[in-house]
Amino acid sequence: MFAFLTRIWQAAPVATVILGGALMVSLFFAVRLVAFWIYWADPAHRDQAIEPWMTPGYVAHSWGLPREIAFEALDLPPAPGGPRSLQELAAERGVSVDVLAADLQAAIDAFRATRGDARP
Amino acid sequence: MTDTIFALVTSWGALVIFASSFLSCLALPIPTSLMMLSGGAFVAAGDLALWQVIAGAWGGAVLGDQTGYLIGRHGGAPLVERIARTPARRAVLNRARGLVDKRGGLGVFLSTWLFAPLGPWVNFIAGTTGLGWLRFTLWDVLGETIWVTIYVGLGYGFASQIEAVSDILGNAVGLLAGLAVAAAMAIWIRGALKAQKARRAVEP
Repeated sequence: MFAFLTRIWQAAPVATVILGGALMVSLFFAVRLVAFWIYWADPAHRDQAIEPWMTPGYVAHSWGLPREIAFEALDLPPAPGGPRSLQELAAERGVSVDVLAADLQAAIDAFRATRGDARP
Repeated sequence: MTDTIFALVTSWGALVIFASSFLSCLALPIPTSLMMLSGGAFVAAGDLALWQVIAGAWGGAVLGDQTGYLIGRHGGAPLVERIARTPARRAVLNRARGLVDKRGGLGVFLSTWLFAPLGPWVNFIAGTTGLGWLRFTLWDVLGETIWVTIYVGLGYGFASQIEAVSDILGNAVGLLAGLAVAAAMAIWIRGALKAQKARRAVEP
């Protein structure tokens, strides 16, 4: 192993250094890849909690709620002219994101409950 | 940081995707892939128009690649000419040009999507070593189309898993780029070893 390294070092020093660097970078990403794979394989990590960057439409899509119901829950017109995140909406109304998130969560729960009732 | 990216995309839409795509093709460390993923997710959510996201990402990437190529052609090429005045350096430059002439199109194509982190550097090299503009552009446009389709498509398809997709994909892409560089260096070293052996055979 060491003899081989010496030999390629003498033949092409620059390439040997870059090779070493590239292998280290590869190892770094490989470890991270496996770590994230394990993390996201856990179903508990898959439910996306409502976060400030999300738009009402995104929350609706993510939780399987019809878009109109999400907009209604936040007293938004059906086409508010460009997407706005919950953070922006909250700032506009002078409330915290948690208030909007709670409204959406209530709408999601209500929607899921009615759908459950409707099933034969 | 992921949250900031998502927030930027909701506030500025396709415009921020265009800007980040353009700049990342000039080797600025901007997480454009994440922007495209979130762009696709917001299309799925009904917040952004699909054509705007595609046009922003694709237009920015192609323009960025062209800019990188032109920088290489008008900035890099004269510099290399000046450096390569000695015969030994001239030989290295000619070898590099031969390689680019033979495999350059495919290299540009793969560097735009499969080995995306290497893309900006390949553009500079292509411009510097004199890969033809039309050949560069054709392969580049084809590759960027694949790149944009993959990322916006994954964002659209996995809209509710966007963070998971970006974490896994981002590291897979880094791994691929690292392995590509390692493979290129292995080929270089093998050539150097062969040349060394040949020299030794000639010299007693």
